Amino acid sequence: MSDREESPSGSALLRCEGLVKHYPDGNVQALRGVTLAIAAGEFVAITGPSGCGKSTLLHLLGGLDRPTAGEVSFRDQPLARLDLDTYRAREVGFVFQAFHLMATLTAMENVQIPMFEGPWPRRQRAQRAGQLLDEVGLSQRREHRPSQLSAGERQRVAIARALANEPTLLLADEPTGNLDSQSQDEILHLLRQLRERRRLTLVIVTHSPDVARAADRQVRMKDGQIQAG
Amino acid sequence: MRFLTVIAKNVLNRPVRSGLTAVGLSIAIAAMTILVGISWNFERSFLAIYRSKQIDLIVVRAGSSNQLSSSLDEPLADRLRQIEGVADVAPSLVDTVAFEEKNLASVLVNGWVAGSLLFRGIRVLEGRSLQPEDDRAAMLGRVLALNIGKQAGDRLEVAGETFAVVGTFESQSLFESGSMIIPLRTLQKMMGREGQVTGFVITARASDRNSLDALRRRIEAAIPGAAATPARDYVVGDTQIRLAKAMAWTTAAVAFLLGAVGMLNTMLMAIFERTREIGLLRAVGWRRRRVLAMVLGEALAIALAGTILGDVLAVVGIRALTLSPTARGFIEPNLPLEVLLIALVMGVGLSLLGGLYPAARAAALDPTEALRYE
Repeated sequence: MSDREESPSGSALLRCEGLVKHYPDGNVQALRGVTLAIAAGEFVAITGPSGCGKSTLLHLLGGLDRPTAGEVSFRDQPLARLDLDTYRAREVGFVFQAFHLMATLTAMENVQIPMFEGPWPRRQRAQRAGQLLDEVGLSQRREHRPSQLSAGERQRVAIARALANEPTLLLADEPTGNLDSQSQDEILHLLRQLRERRRLTLVIVTHSPDVARAADRQVRMKDGQIQAG
Repeated sequence: MRFLTVIAKNVLNRPVRSGLTAVGLSIAIAAMTILVGISWNFERSFLAIYRSKQIDLIVVRAGSSNQLSSSLDEPLADRLRQIEGVADVAPSLVDTVAFEEKNLASVLVNGWVAGSLLFRGIRVLEGRSLQPEDDRAAMLGRVLALNIGKQAGDRLEVAGETFAVVGTFESQSLFESGSMIIPLRTLQKMMGREGQVTGFVITARASDRNSLDALRRRIEAAIPGAAATPARDYVVGDTQIRLAKAMAWTTAAVAFLLGAVGMLNTMLMAIFERTREIGLLRAVGWRRRRVLAMVLGEALAIALAGTILGDVLAVVGIRALTLSPTARGFIEPNLPLEVLLIALVMGVGLSLLGGLYPAARAAALDPTEALRYE
């Protein structure tokens, strides 16, 4: 195993030390001592077979869950000492395979959902949502509901939503898993563009070799451990 | 977008379920409002009788729980008049009769002495008032006259006796407007209670609390076995009114409980269905208290719709009830504003209580597990 403590491109934005995650319900050891560092601005692809712990690692990096043992640090601050709600709201943007858009809301409204926990007054929320939808190429679909959008368009709305509070870290869990190959290419292109334009740190969990190849670094996992990366 | 927009869209997204919950709640609210409103009006109507006649004390047999069960000797009126502080005294005998052919099961018959203080607040609409020489003469309250289709100059059969309707009257109390007045002596003969009355009403020379207390003590000392009660206390303590209020509030409590359980069920179902959505909200940084506020906001929106609709149904329902001759004599067509407000506050409060557990459950959801929920 060759875990990298630090990226060559700069100091670590995220650092994991000996992460263990045990799910007592199914008696599953999802992570078995993962140590990893991700530099600011880096694009990392986490790959590996289903059930190897990729998503669990992503959730721990994003403060969605707490490890059974070990520590995740963000800018050298252990997440255990941070308010995770604030961390997720201000520093992290999530993109999911299943989009998780609210069916009752329009694209504009879905993008504004995270902004309730941000510093934005109402008018600015709407203005920002419009700008973000323009940025992901959905200027003409602002008032459409998720059911009126294609899968690729839905994922674009989800990406715009993930950027709502100007996060430093974008975490994507199989963002192209529900898309056809053309949409997959478009979404990957968009993510790379956004990363460069916004100097985002991008961590993607993927099964797709194309997505993995596009990353600065691939972290390969198996049985809850990092095999290479 | 406002936070309220999210709440409103969530409620409107399930129109049938939200609507049915609101309708269920509105029926509970309407039932409660009508029942409590009727009992409330009962009390107000009785109080209006005594207030309009400026009656300070009511003297009945000690231990009798309502007017009809009391019995005192009529000559006690003279002894009462001699007690210091008594300005006026009037005897009264009360009975109920039925006009079955008109579907009226219980009409109050007042046996009064012509010209007594009991005629205060009685406004003659047509014909005349009772005279001392009257025997088989009756005055009909406006509502009773309407219900049985009689007017001044008509004849009326009461418990097998024929009476001349000498006049009709209006009172500030609906009860009185639904009753009839005949001479005291006539009613005593009909009931076989010559020389007996139900009780006496008294106007005092001074109506402040201390003076009335002192007068009450003097009356009870002078007439053993009699109880003198301030009019307000008498009405509030009347067994029938207390029973009506207790039944109304008990039924209201059951209705409210069902409303709260309905809300609990609806909101729990909504939370189960939206587990992944709530996981997403937590994932994007929504705090537990914002999720709590969202679910409680949805419960509040449904509760407000239900209680407002319930109040409207109650207003319409009580007016519909008064179309029935049986109810017209003792149910006022208007509901007190206080009762409508109480229903609103209780409906919203209990519904929020019903929404509290689902809201707390939603707020406590672990985002990772919620996102994985199938």
